Amino acid sequence: MSEEREQSAGITRRGFAIGAGCSLALLGLGGTAKYIASDPKCRPPGGQEEDGLIGACLRCEKCREVCPNGVIAPAHLEDGFINTRTPLMNFKLGFCDYCKESHEGVPQCVEVCPTRALALPEGATPENVIIGKAIITEPWCLAYGDTGCRTCVDACKYEALELDEYNRPHVIYDKCNGCGECEYVCISMTAASLQTGVTDRAIVVRPVELYEELKGGLA
Amino acid sequence: MKKGSTKTLRTVTVFLALVLVAVGYYSHVGIGNVSSVGWGALSLICPVGAIEAMLATKTFIPQVFISLVVIVVLIVLLGKVFCSWICPIPVFQRWFPGRKARMSKESIHSASQGGDDSEKADLAVDTEASHVSSETSCEPSSCGSCTTACGKKTSEFKLDSRHAVLGGALLSTAIFGFPVFCLVCPVGLTFATVLLVMRLFSFGETTWTLFLFPLIIIVEVLFFRKWCSKICPIGAFTSLVSGLNKTFRATVDETKCLRTTQGVECGICHKVCPQNINPQNPSESPVTMNNCTKCRTCADNCPAKAISFPLFPKKPGAQVPQKSGIKGTDTLVEYAE
Repeated sequence: MSEEREQSAGITRRGFAIGAGCSLALLGLGGTAKYIASDPKCRPPGGQEEDGLIGACLRCEKCREVCPNGVIAPAHLEDGFINTRTPLMNFKLGFCDYCKESHEGVPQCVEVCPTRALALPEGATPENVIIGKAIITEPWCLAYGDTGCRTCVDACKYEALELDEYNRPHVIYDKCNGCGECEYVCISMTAASLQTGVTDRAIVVRPVELYEELKGGLA
Repeated sequence: MKKGSTKTLRTVTVFLALVLVAVGYYSHVGIGNVSSVGWGALSLICPVGAIEAMLATKTFIPQVFISLVVIVVLIVLLGKVFCSWICPIPVFQRWFPGRKARMSKESIHSASQGGDDSEKADLAVDTEASHVSSETSCEPSSCGSCTTACGKKTSEFKLDSRHAVLGGALLSTAIFGFPVFCLVCPVGLTFATVLLVMRLFSFGETTWTLFLFPLIIIVEVLFFRKWCSKICPIGAFTSLVSGLNKTFRATVDETKCLRTTQGVECGICHKVCPQNINPQNPSESPVTMNNCTKCRTCADNCPAKAISFPLFPKKPGAQVPQKSGIKGTDTLVEYAE
């Protein structure tokens, strides 16, 4: 293929061997990284098309740098080798307000992305750009322990959380866009826990693809 | 001695680049890193990454294409300066020299200071061959049929293993739909490691990546000592374009060079060149002048201070043969007269 043509153009045998070896290694690397299973991730706005994001992201960190809320974090090896250094949402560090306050509703991560790995479709609004969906792990939730906690309900700007007759929060699936503010403000595990063995906050945002699987609760 | 001053300066510029990116990481201004550096929405994208991104997504991305054009223009104007002035990899290799590098450095060091006879003999053997070959091929009058004088070959470009690696990287990217080389690019991973260390201290973020990235870098550039000249696809891309570069090219002042003034085959400029270019006789050099990274090592080490990097070639007739060979010979004759 391309190597053969180059050989005829005067490349040495040794050079050809090095080039062919490295090319094979890169082909193997590409295939291995692509087909090692990796779970869907919560991506910044505009990164919901996973193929588009993985295809164009050069891991330049600009989106993470400009995020005024500091919610974007680089993915690590633990998130899948192919994802390393790509942007993920870490709602422990912040939440996404679609830059409503700071940038008139134009997400700055999308604006600075040099390769359009983050790109919003026409007519995108905070309500229809779905980063993920919130999931409540009931045994871990303080409100389910009759404490009257309503931190997440008060924080939600999209009326996606409602309290039932026992003052326990429920997620309204269709209204949740995964902005992550509920997870960011949740005091379970950060300030108080009702039981031992709690490994995460009581309300967390997870990718839409994983919602059905995880809805039963993370506990 | 002023010797090595450029080397220190180059280490400083590499560190400045790292510090600048680190400040960007910290201050949220959006400078990015070498994968894509810029201010706000304006970015200069790594040319290999730019091609990979368009291949992987199979889309034409205008801003990426514009950046690619700007990068090409920059390479035409400045040559392969990125390699020696910004890229951190050569610095790592200098810090952790291989056995071979240490040995050759010692021999060059003593040779440039006069050295003893055995080393002089060693140098002579090495340079004799090039001298003979240069005599046979480097006579403009003997090149009757080829209208260009021998120096023209300097801009001729040679394919080598790096171009095959670049081809392989692009092929893999096109097949698997993501920028494959970016995953293991030692330059990108160096900047990523800086970020990981910063995040370790500011957020207590612990990850295996902190071991993985340095490991990849070590394997690539310390085990494969010839990474830059044999493998690096970024270097492959820049060397494809740098043949068009005519400014700041290494130029030997024939009135100072020991070879032309005293007939001494000192050859130090060739021996010290990290790219293995022979500035005295680029046409016969094992590596073409396209691969010159303008590191100035030859100029710093030349005992006669005969090598300079002028903005424009000074005497177009005498130093760099002109496009029309006949005209060039005329100028040569004029100079002789």
